[in-house]
Amino acid sequence: MSTLIIGLSLGMLLFLLASGLTLIFGMLGVINFAHGALYMLGAYIAFDIGRHTGSFVAGLIGATVLVAAAGALIERLALRPLYNRPHFYQLILTFGVILVISELVKIVWGLGYQESTMPEALAGTVELFGSTIPVYRLFVIGFGALVSGGLFLLIEKSTFGMLVRAASSDGEMVRLLGLPVSSVRMAVFALGSGLAGLAGAIAAPLFPIELGMATNTIIDCFIVVILGGLGNIRGAVAASLLIGLVRALGYAYMPSWVDILTFALLIATLLTRPQGLFFRATRSA
Amino acid sequence: MVAGIKARHGVLFGAMAVALLCTGPARAADPDKFKIGGVVSLSGTYGIFGEDMRKGVEIAIEQRGGKVLGKPIQVIWEDDETKPQPAVQKTTRLISEGVQMIFGAVSSASSIAIMNIAKQRKIPHLVTMSADDKITVPNGSRYTFRTSNTLGMEQRMALSFTKEQKLKRVYGVTADYQATRDSWEWYRREAEKAGVEIVGADFAPLGNRDYSSIVDKIARSNADGVALFMTGSDAVTMVKQAGQVDLGKTRKIFGPVIADETMAAGVGPASIGVYSGVRYHFTVDNPANRKFVEAFRKKYNELPSSAAGEAYDGMAWWLDTVEQTGSWDKEKWVAAFENSVRDNSVEGRKSMRACDHQAMQDGLWGVVEKGAPPAPAYTMKIVKVFPPNQVFDACQP
Repeated sequence: MSTLIIGLSLGMLLFLLASGLTLIFGMLGVINFAHGALYMLGAYIAFDIGRHTGSFVAGLIGATVLVAAAGALIERLALRPLYNRPHFYQLILTFGVILVISELVKIVWGLGYQESTMPEALAGTVELFGSTIPVYRLFVIGFGALVSGGLFLLIEKSTFGMLVRAASSDGEMVRLLGLPVSSVRMAVFALGSGLAGLAGAIAAPLFPIELGMATNTIIDCFIVVILGGLGNIRGAVAASLLIGLVRALGYAYMPSWVDILTFALLIATLLTRPQGLFFRATRSA
Repeated sequence: MVAGIKARHGVLFGAMAVALLCTGPARAADPDKFKIGGVVSLSGTYGIFGEDMRKGVEIAIEQRGGKVLGKPIQVIWEDDETKPQPAVQKTTRLISEGVQMIFGAVSSASSIAIMNIAKQRKIPHLVTMSADDKITVPNGSRYTFRTSNTLGMEQRMALSFTKEQKLKRVYGVTADYQATRDSWEWYRREAEKAGVEIVGADFAPLGNRDYSSIVDKIARSNADGVALFMTGSDAVTMVKQAGQVDLGKTRKIFGPVIADETMAAGVGPASIGVYSGVRYHFTVDNPANRKFVEAFRKKYNELPSSAAGEAYDGMAWWLDTVEQTGSWDKEKWVAAFENSVRDNSVEGRKSMRACDHQAMQDGLWGVVEKGAPPAPAYTMKIVKVFPPNQVFDACQP
């Protein structure tokens, strides 16, 4: 039972991270290699704000806003001229963005590990099903559920979401109707980046903050996006939880097989349902 | 599907871009310089160590006026990304560029790969970080030397700690790769011989990101000791997450190399009370170390880490030996280093053993405590020094 809770918390963390990636891919068609780097940047910013203000919430908001702003800047300056070019331009560009962000982080915070302490209110533990569970893990589950619900409402029910979906299915037509497609795209990229920053801030107290964060997590993210179906938010939630549970169960019963299990799941999905496990459910996105 | 095809193209182009980025300009051989090829991890799981090693080496070179055999020393640094394949490629390229020796790497897998190339190409190879016992075996490579700790020393100290603390039940967590697995198996055998019960053993992938399930298993076990056979990011993540459920309050957490100032900084308060083997420490009190620490602080405004200290020590020793031969003949350097003794090492006396090219030295065992400036917030305190005969087996050909 405690494994289930750990699995859910792993899954929700993964969802926070993968949601931005899948959003950007689904709505803009951009495969953003730099997503992991934005996540790392979020963790460093949250750590630094937390260190200076002593407030976890300030770090959370600061990381989200600043990384979203960085995302908007990247979209405006670098990605926008490339939308009409073949995909690989975007890949090389976002790969370059990783290098830039990594170097920036090295210059500002150095190569060493950084450590972000948990907020007092969430630092304790609770006894559940015979196991000691950190309260923070439960917070991650709740927060992830909240964000997934909010994101779903935003994309599927709001006017902004409608505009985004319209722009992603036929940008030219939306532009002809006099709507600001460029701004919508920038907003989506900023939103996706902000989610990466938020994930970094949430992850900061759980893991060592280090440069390797970017590369370590991006692979899991891509697995989630592929399993969930490219650009599918509901799929991403389900796939994140699935991966989280597989990993938690794997760690509990056969830790040396965890990576193999995860990749086996990926390969099996690609062979049988290359459009993602949850493709049929949400064709619209 | 279209997206899939595009993605595949993208990956291909991405790979090409990486290949392009990794290809530096070729450098012509220059006999007027003493060229050193430094292959270390500047990224990847052990990326943190490479940069510190570079700093240590730079001090060693500066302290001798930047010269050996009357010629300026030039170090060409390469990043192996903590993987053997790039280590092989970069070492091969460095040798073709005419380096006189290879220094590195961080991960044992990379160092063993480099060792094999150095042996074929008859290029001296200095290891100051990788601890796999296979790097220095009797009748191993004539060209490879290690001046730093072996995992064997560190696992012996961990075993000695287990006995001293009278631990009854130990839970082991090991990074799933060869050197740490071998080390754990040795520890397990010896601990069981000493009457310690091994109540659990898990092998987590190298570069693992979450240990909470394993921590939960340990917390539910009746272990009184937690032995961690891992290092770098793995050890930091594991100890940090163990701290999230206060595992260290009821159990002794220890391991061959799970804590130093660098790692403790990433763990935070949970690192206090964690025991570990220490490769080098800035508090070791002797004139050579005081001089090194002062030079290091002056140049970098920080205290040297284990990686920096070991790198400095090995390189300073090697360059002094080369100087003494007065020759550019690599075979003479190797012959001289084989029987070299370093009385003024920063860790006390070190002597190179001709049979396996391993430097005999004291073993340091420490615990993380709260530090006061200028020491870092979490700093190691050396609690025991093991003489060489307690941490090394006799050399059996």
